[in-house]
Amino acid sequence: MELTTVKIGAVSVLDAAGRIDSVTAKSLEEKLLALIKEAPPALVLDFAKVDYISSAGLRVLLVAAKQSKAAQCKFALCSLKPQVREVFDISGFGTIITIHPDRASALAAAS
Amino acid sequence: MTADLVLSLKNDPAEIARLAPLVAEFCARHGLAEATAAQLTLVLDEAITNIISYAFDDSGEHEISVRISLAPGALIAELVDDGRAFDPLQVAAPDLAAPLTERAVGGLGVHLMRRLMDDIRYRREGARNHLVLAKRIA
Repeated sequence: MELTTVKIGAVSVLDAAGRIDSVTAKSLEEKLLALIKEAPPALVLDFAKVDYISSAGLRVLLVAAKQSKAAQCKFALCSLKPQVREVFDISGFGTIITIHPDRASALAAAS
Repeated sequence: MTADLVLSLKNDPAEIARLAPLVAEFCARHGLAEATAAQLTLVLDEAITNIISYAFDDSGEHEISVRISLAPGALIAELVDDGRAFDPLQVAAPDLAAPLTERAVGGLGVHLMRRLMDDIRYRREGARNHLVLAKRIA
């Protein structure tokens, strides 16, 4: 899994690529928590290149969502592939984490 | 007679990624949808991750055997390990209606397994755990 960060205005954007599973989830968690610690007004996690997520990845996103809320940072995901979206829906994550169809709408909502 | 997919994984999370291409190839070979392969791959990941996390008391190397086969109208996966008696179906389910601040972090793996497969059975046979997961296919 690869992680790339970029700042767009005041918004932190993290691009993830590859698989998010029990092996790679830890590094995603470390990166997300480090970004939230910087206290940006908003953090967008772009999943356009994420092919696969297991419950290990979902757990990390839940922790990040909770920490963001506590830090008053708007946290959102965008560009989920269909098989990833299905996993989110089955787990009920669609209702507790903000999900945008694409990067443009995620950035618009973040500002 | 169709060939089953049979392999053995070490009790190391890094081994789990070996499954994705093999499951994809097995499903393609039998004309099953890509979504079915993706769902089975995820279910195996969740089950094997739990086995690795909870079934072994020592820090030694163990093997988890995986067999994937087709029966009339069903795709079947069987996992066998030699750990302590561990039934993944006993893990508590998550509260999906809880709001963000109250959502607990655990239990999602088993929930995904139950939702994506049509039948899951655990049995203890001698010194082995057997988990059989089945999915109805058209």
